[in-house]
Amino acid sequence: MKMMATIAWRNVWRSRSRSLVVIGSIVVGIWALIFMLGFMNGFMISYINGAIKHEISHIQIHKAEFKKDNNIGFVIPDGMNLARTLALDSRIQAVSPRSIASGMISSPRKSGGVKIYGIIPESERSVTRHDSLITEGSYFKSNLKNPIVIGKELANTLKVKLNSKVVLTFQDRENNLVAGAFRLAGMLETTAPMINKATAYIRMEDLNRIAGLQEGVHEIALFVENPESETTLLTDLRSAQSGLLVESWREIAPELELFLSMTDSFLWVLIGIIMIALIFGIINTMLMAVLERYRELGMLMAIGMNKWRIFMMIVIETIFLSLVGGPVGILLGLLTMYWLGIEGIDLSAYSEGLREYGYSSILYPYIENSTYIHVAAGVIITALLGALYPAYKAVQLNPTEALHTV
Amino acid sequence: METTTDKKIVIETRDIAKVYQDAKIPVRALKDVDLEIVEGEFTAIVGPSGSGKTTLLNIIGGLDNPTSGTIKVAGKDISKLKESERIDFRLHNIGFVFQQYNLIPVLTARENVEFIMLLQKKPVHEMRARALHLLEEVELKHKANVRPSELSGGQQQRVAVIRALASQPKFILADEPTANLDSASAANLLDMMARMNQEEGMTFIFSTHDQRVIDKARRVVTLEDGMIKSDEVRS
Repeated sequence: MKMMATIAWRNVWRSRSRSLVVIGSIVVGIWALIFMLGFMNGFMISYINGAIKHEISHIQIHKAEFKKDNNIGFVIPDGMNLARTLALDSRIQAVSPRSIASGMISSPRKSGGVKIYGIIPESERSVTRHDSLITEGSYFKSNLKNPIVIGKELANTLKVKLNSKVVLTFQDRENNLVAGAFRLAGMLETTAPMINKATAYIRMEDLNRIAGLQEGVHEIALFVENPESETTLLTDLRSAQSGLLVESWREIAPELELFLSMTDSFLWVLIGIIMIALIFGIINTMLMAVLERYRELGMLMAIGMNKWRIFMMIVIETIFLSLVGGPVGILLGLLTMYWLGIEGIDLSAYSEGLREYGYSSILYPYIENSTYIHVAAGVIITALLGALYPAYKAVQLNPTEALHTV
Repeated sequence: METTTDKKIVIETRDIAKVYQDAKIPVRALKDVDLEIVEGEFTAIVGPSGSGKTTLLNIIGGLDNPTSGTIKVAGKDISKLKESERIDFRLHNIGFVFQQYNLIPVLTARENVEFIMLLQKKPVHEMRARALHLLEEVELKHKANVRPSELSGGQQQRVAVIRALASQPKFILADEPTANLDSASAANLLDMMARMNQEEGMTFIFSTHDQRVIDKARRVVTLEDGMIKSDEVRS
């Protein structure tokens, strides 16, 4: 085996420039694969994190009926106390109780449908961090009476400015149409189009007063301390709050799960394409190497080297070829990921379009360590697949004919 | 399988014929060839181009099958062996020397000699010692760690001969071994092979055009149009 490996290794360097070209293509292919995986992963993480952080949080609790029918009357029994109790759980970083109504927002010039969140700003900002996304005005810090915060895009649609008056119209607990006038205290810009275009945040006390809800809470949003503890927390909450609907972000926003699996499928297709390209590159090189050494292989067969050994010699040679390129490609990919993981990729040139879909403008590619192992295994499999045909051709030769090949 | 002189017959062909069907008109390369080679012979198979020398050598070497007739090598009908068995048979029984040396270019002279013993799964120390001993015999020990590209044609062919010898075969088949060598190298190589034949009793069978080889041979089998025209044994 040692001699076979020696021959295979030396054969790799027999045609140095050709080997370097194929090694180069393996390096570039693997680097591109790692980069694309990291890029897509970063894209996915950015999107999902954005949705969790600024929109849906990790876990939400509702009264089950409220999810089916957004009737303002379906409040969580003793919701405020439940929120206070949950805030004491060390696994939960932040808790935000919300009351919710669907209604209309009207300015003197325009009107539109909105989802109205009644929030406690101090609690809400620790969950959704919307205070950091304020582009104009402030996050419920002004002394305005009945302050309201809406998306900048909605403000533009309504053609309102800071301190402008808007009117919210919605149903109260008795299903009567009620309305309240609010002053625009702040405008925010998030990665969620729904928030930017059709959501309004007011103080819970204001919403509840107008809707006649007292301390009524429709939704409790939880931001967990450590995402890994989410599953156990969910189980605990479900058993403790059996009458309520406790959902993770995956259930609240199934489109995110769909997005995850779609991205995953796309990545597999991408990996497949790159691997197939590599396989053909390897086949081409190794086939040339076999045809070039036809007489030599014929001689080996003539003197008594069996077909299995010849087959293995070509396979080992191909693996060596890939083993030179593979680690270099992986190392380059790793360094690129490390650097981009710190620096990020500035996509601001495209961010207007991306923002529409909920992405942030700086993207941080990310790859799990296990992916590098998968890529390394992929390289070996690619090399093996690429070696099969040239090795098959090698063992098919007729030694008498091969020995007379010029 | 003993001759009158008590020497073993290593090769025995009976009525072998070879017809190549590839061309539009079948080509009869060998016709009714009966030949016995006894161990220790130093035989040259001669004849003009197309006379069937290489075909006969390929059949004797188990690289090709006759269309009809039987070929026994070391008492075994090799035409009945499966391909894998035939490769193994060649490894343990036949040494090959080719016109174009055909050394493995990425291995050194010593490694080239060791390679065939490696295929035979001989212990490393044994093959190392034998390779160096054989290199010493052909005065190439100082070139042991040199690759074929750094050796002259004559030196390469000497390495090819000891590679064939290294596997301790029953006989060595040499296809035009001196064709690519200058006179001095050819003479040197022939002397070396004659010495091995006389001292170690190794059987050599050459196909050749080269008069120098023919002059050295103790038996000359002449082929013409695929048939044995003459078989001359010299004292």
